[in-house]
Amino acid sequence: MGTPFDIAYVYEYFLKLLPFIRISLLIVFGSIVVGMGVGLLVALPRLYKVPVLQRFSQVYASFFRGTPILIQLFLIYYLLPELLKLVSIDVTKVPVLIFVILAYGLHSGAYFSEGIRAAVSAVDRGQVEAAYAVGMTGYQAFTRIVFPQALAISIPILANLIIATLKDTSLAFTLGVMELTGKAQTLFTVSRHMLESYLALAIVYFILSFFLEKMFNFAERRLLKHEAPIAKEDKVPMGRKWLNRTLDPDIALSKGGAGV
Amino acid sequence: MIHLKRITKSFGRNEVLKGIDLTIRKGEVVAIVGPSGSGKTTLLRCINYLEKPSDGEISIDEFSVHFKKPHKKDIHALRQKSAMVFQQYNLFRHKTALENVMEGLVVVQKIPKEEARKRSVELLEKVGLGDKLDSYPSQLSGGQQQRVGIARALALNPEVILFDEPTSALDPELVGEVLGVIRKIAKEGITMIIVTHEMAFAQDVANHVVFMEGGVIVEEGPPNVIFNVPKEERTKQFLARYTSESAYSI
Repeated sequence: MGTPFDIAYVYEYFLKLLPFIRISLLIVFGSIVVGMGVGLLVALPRLYKVPVLQRFSQVYASFFRGTPILIQLFLIYYLLPELLKLVSIDVTKVPVLIFVILAYGLHSGAYFSEGIRAAVSAVDRGQVEAAYAVGMTGYQAFTRIVFPQALAISIPILANLIIATLKDTSLAFTLGVMELTGKAQTLFTVSRHMLESYLALAIVYFILSFFLEKMFNFAERRLLKHEAPIAKEDKVPMGRKWLNRTLDPDIALSKGGAGV
Repeated sequence: MIHLKRITKSFGRNEVLKGIDLTIRKGEVVAIVGPSGSGKTTLLRCINYLEKPSDGEISIDEFSVHFKKPHKKDIHALRQKSAMVFQQYNLFRHKTALENVMEGLVVVQKIPKEEARKRSVELLEKVGLGDKLDSYPSQLSGGQQQRVGIARALALNPEVILFDEPTSALDPELVGEVLGVIRKIAKEGITMIIVTHEMAFAQDVANHVVFMEGGVIVEEGPPNVIFNVPKEERTKQFLARYTSESAYSI
């Protein structure tokens, strides 16, 4: 934009962006909570083949996976209040952040439902039969046998989804929410150092994604420890921990990712 | 005493069990043999309602269930009276050997953890896995997994243990260790029903042999009768493959 590149701005903007991480993460985690709830509700009819609801779930999933998130944001922010007005519910005073969380939640819910479905069907049927044979009820079999394993299997899917949602939140500024991207844009409207601002923004997103990824890798290792074929005796000494790490992709692919 | 009365089962229009009547006395070891597709496994799975019989009745001592319209509570009770050892072991993969055995005791029978633990350790030692308590199924061989499966079934202290081809998925080398364990517990007077293709083992360990084909019991009796002097032509034909060498000549 005509102004010469100045690295000092990158640092300055980076610091100015930091407080807005809060808003972006709030959208991410708000929508993940909504998404998980919705995802489970949508997945169950398909897992248990409930006649009419099953069809509903399919339509829901294909709509939210088949249309751009930007359009969904607009539809939920502008169209939903109009529809609610018809049944005389006034939502004009509801903060825009709520609509944003709702939109991202419904969006990720569609992906969650697919993930939950895949993870639950990846736990083999034989273990459920064994649980019944031991005398467990359907509920006990689900909560004690299926769910813990499905959760471990779904960690990589969950990680992808959360990181994807984090990046998608960069569109929330279109509705005027002051999150990371929104703030980055206001920063350079004054100084006209657009490139520096976007660079700082990229760094912030990257650091966030990096930590989320590490966190999920750790969780995955913990939850899938039963699938690691390494015997306890041959633990690698501390200084050579990287040796262990090189094994991880293989474990994730051959076990956690199977059937997903 | 277990009574099966007129058990039938159809998958769609395919009738797999055509009215099975069978009586199993307490402490008896029953081997069910027969060609593939004869309905042996289906019959076994009907006994603990993993397969839903179309009709019939089962009674274990005083307790009985009619399969036409069974009550949910009865099915639950029926399952608690039996335990099963599966062809594919079906261990809980996210639990250690010890936890696999304890699970039913703690969750279903509500036995205090310490007591359940003690009993489970004893049983795992009995099947020769005292040193594998904390191993996950993925760290055990097939034979070891199946022995955990047997310990898991024994722990529940059931009226009857159902074995569904317990050695079919195993390497030939590992079959012996599993059969050895089954033979050992058979001597303790636990009622067992074993579906198997191991004829020598059936002959050796069972008190009663049932030969099935086409969804009916063709012949049943003590092993020395069934294996040596069977009455039915079909039984002779089937067993000839196991008892004579001529079957291998083409």
